[in-house]
Amino acid sequence: MKAWLGALVALVFGAGVIGASPLAARDLTIVAGGGALQDHMRRTLFGTFGAPVVDTAYDYNVGPIRAMVQARNITWDVVMVEAPDLIRGCEDGVFERIDWSVVNRAKFSAGGTNECGAGAIGWGVSVFWDRNRHPAGPANFQEFWDVQRFPGRRTLRRGARMTLEIALMGDGVPAAEVYRLLATPAGQARAFAALDRLRPNLHFWTGGQQPIELVNNGEVAFAVGFVGRTANAIRGGAAYELRWPTLLYAFDYWAVVRGSPNAAAGMRLIEHITNPAPLLELTKVWPVNPVTEAVANDSDVRARNPLMMTNHQAGGLQIDTEFWLEHGPALEQRFAAWLNR
Amino acid sequence: MPRGLAAALLAPLLLLLGLGFLAPLLALLATAVRDPELAATLPGTRAELVAWDGQGLPGEGAFAALARESTAALADRRLGPLTARLNFSEPGLRAALLRVARAGGRLSAPFADSVPALDQRWADPATWQALAAARGPLTSLYLLRALDLTPGAAGIEAVPADLALFRELFARTLWVSLLVTLACILLAYPLAALIAGLRPPWSGIVTAMVLVPFWSSVLVRSTAWFALLAREGPVNEALLAAGLIAEPLQMLGTRAAVLVATIHVLLPVAVLPLLAVMLRLDPRLPRAAASLGAGPWLRFWRIWLPLTLPGVAAGGALVFLLAIGFYITPALLGGERDQLIAWFIAQFLNRDVNWGMAAALSVWLLALAGAVLALAGLLAGDAWRARR
Repeated sequence: MKAWLGALVALVFGAGVIGASPLAARDLTIVAGGGALQDHMRRTLFGTFGAPVVDTAYDYNVGPIRAMVQARNITWDVVMVEAPDLIRGCEDGVFERIDWSVVNRAKFSAGGTNECGAGAIGWGVSVFWDRNRHPAGPANFQEFWDVQRFPGRRTLRRGARMTLEIALMGDGVPAAEVYRLLATPAGQARAFAALDRLRPNLHFWTGGQQPIELVNNGEVAFAVGFVGRTANAIRGGAAYELRWPTLLYAFDYWAVVRGSPNAAAGMRLIEHITNPAPLLELTKVWPVNPVTEAVANDSDVRARNPLMMTNHQAGGLQIDTEFWLEHGPALEQRFAAWLNR
Repeated sequence: MPRGLAAALLAPLLLLLGLGFLAPLLALLATAVRDPELAATLPGTRAELVAWDGQGLPGEGAFAALARESTAALADRRLGPLTARLNFSEPGLRAALLRVARAGGRLSAPFADSVPALDQRWADPATWQALAAARGPLTSLYLLRALDLTPGAAGIEAVPADLALFRELFARTLWVSLLVTLACILLAYPLAALIAGLRPPWSGIVTAMVLVPFWSSVLVRSTAWFALLAREGPVNEALLAAGLIAEPLQMLGTRAAVLVATIHVLLPVAVLPLLAVMLRLDPRLPRAAASLGAGPWLRFWRIWLPLTLPGVAAGGALVFLLAIGFYITPALLGGERDQLIAWFIAQFLNRDVNWGMAAALSVWLLALAGAVLALAGLLAGDAWRARR
């Protein structure tokens, strides 16, 4: 009886080990940032592809993607990545080189393509506040720093990227000089000194929805948050005042994970979702800033979407990816140390 | 039970422990000390640097190898890990290396002139020393940097003050974890004693009241506290309505919020082992003590407490180990000065993709937890022996 029991246990265990082999073909999987935007993308972009596409969301942390590539067990095919992650990932062989014979490179705006990435959307951050709680607010970053004229708590993103540029502009540095100055020790000291001055009134956010929540429940008076979410809230009826002159923007790219079994289908998917027709459908429901030239410069689209970032990009500051690849680790550590003092 | 069968039944457990616990732990320790990037990406340059004496600049061979190998690595898309590794120890090296790699075959001999002409940093001995420091195969860089130290030219030096971060973080993590452990034990002890003294069905009902929150996720409970403690949340509204305060209190983003929520989340973990020990306590022992004339305090101090000490130790150890790795609750409810070390481990792992630093921080965290538990075990053991 006991020997029989032992044999049964061994048999079950063995069967379990054999049965757990990796599965065969899976559907083409695309990954983006989630939220309402992805719901709209599912309908207008992925759903119109023709072949079945599974979409899922992630938090823009590329650690899992690298782990996937190293383990050679790819479960994601196409991913929307931020510019620094794209460039670093391309150099490290985490992403495939885009097949430009499948994806038409000419349709993208200037700076909208990369060896491993095809422009997906532009995004940005800017100052906003609730007009009902505060009729007047800062028009630029210097006024954002002026707590006498505009009293109340402020919120900035918890991280060196974007926050240090904002600190320098709050100290009076013109946008064109920001990155040159921030590369020098004197400039960095100036940025941290400016943050020190604002610190008693400063709260930091980590999640994209937090600026909206903080402004809504009165925790902060003036916030710097993602323009897409702010614009969407405004369209939904919120009484926010969005200050376009304070825009900092960058592009996100579609990339294909290296070693994916669906790489070829992934390239065709990228070609489809960056075409004018599906993107025009998307712009009808979300003030996204597409990187496809035809859609970004379409006069109808720009007129219909006054809150579309392309209408205001000229006055904004484009976030310098190479700068952050170079100085990122040191500045992020310095920021974290500053934050903890 | 025949020994063969016993071994067969144990085998899956040992396999699970080995594969799921020991192997990852060893891999973690290995990741914290390995330095493979230079050897893997620029082997010829590394060989030249090993032969170099570290004074002045290396010879033409090193420059030539650098130009040749970095170009090849960039074309093969293998250069990334090395640029990240060098930029971590010496900010600015990434651009210097990329410039040489992108120059391609356009550089010509003598490389000792053409490479520095491309980027001045290659004429600086410090750059080459930083490169030589990465020759591996093992390095102390990550373990030292995780303690705000750096392997400088004159031995181990402290990192500049405006970059020093981790020692304070470890201290803070230890302090918060100990506070939470103490508070959980103090709160859980009477609660477990109460439940142990109840008769069914009340014992079951109260136990369920303790367990049901335990079955919801940590994130859900932390978010609930976020909603409770918000400026316009129920707690502030109740205090305002009762006239106890004039202005809403700023409770979110404070250490107190983190402590309260963490204690609330970990309390069931402390209650259950205490309850298990107290239920097994022979009720005749306190009664015997009473019959011999012991008052309530003496019964508690000499009978109850020593007998339930194993439960206290188990519950306390569990709570401490969980608290030391907490990062959801401090991230949601704490201010900038309330972040614990686990948040930074997650940052290095996911966002910065610096697995060496994540592993090094984890190693020190493991050592810290082990040291505290060993110390507690020693003290408890001494106290136990003294009592007998």
